[in-house]
Amino acid sequence: MIAALDQLLGWIPFIHPAPLPPGARLWMFLPLAACVATVYRVTRAKSARELPLATLKTFVTIVAGMCLIAIAAYVIHAGVLHFSEG
Amino acid sequence: MARKNDPLMKMAPAGILAWILPGAGHYFLGQRGLGIVLFVTISFAYGVGLAVGGVKNSVNPRANGWLFLAEMGVGGYTVLGYVVSERLPDYGVKEPSPYVSYYPESDVAQIYLAIGGLLNLLAILDALMRAQTGGAPVFYLEAERSSQPKAEETDQ
Repeated sequence: MIAALDQLLGWIPFIHPAPLPPGARLWMFLPLAACVATVYRVTRAKSARELPLATLKTFVTIVAGMCLIAIAAYVIHAGVLHFSEG
Repeated sequence: MARKNDPLMKMAPAGILAWILPGAGHYFLGQRGLGIVLFVTISFAYGVGLAVGGVKNSVNPRANGWLFLAEMGVGGYTVLGYVVSERLPDYGVKEPSPYVSYYPESDVAQIYLAIGGLLNLLAILDALMRAQTGGAPVFYLEAERSSQPKAEETDQ
């Protein structure tokens, strides 16, 4: 049945992988961080009304932390290259 | 009748519902807003992973057993995905399959699917604890417990 539907439609979401635009891989981090922040805040909330501000704070914290980790990794990488060349 | 009010009696259905459908456990416990937020968030993460990776290799224990284990955090979606995945035809090694994603899409798909499954595991545990506590998150109980000994100390 799926094969017949496939022939009829040509492209079916979830059956055929969707291509990502070039350079999108890095930015795909942001929605994932938002999902993690939301679920984490849900586990600590009494009601949904508490969520927007708390989720935003957690999201910003995650993104800032990941940026700092990326900068630190870049500095270490550049340092290793610099000293290994010298 | 007392057994009906026992919070432990709510744990099993809340846990099973949360495993089958993200947020359903919280919805069952009366936390409807939180349940809807969980459903939208976890379904989004899992759905993006499945859309980018395709169901054929993304939900397949033979292709990636550890990923499948993480995905099983969302039981309903993963079982359904596995059934569909098994019905899709296999292609040979030499010819590229239209059902399989390749690098870099496969990487993004795996991360989204694994995170989606593991986030629902967190949601299941939260639903179980809320069933025990009558709706309050564990965080508040921990805060209450840690403040109790201090109150007793001040009384003495």
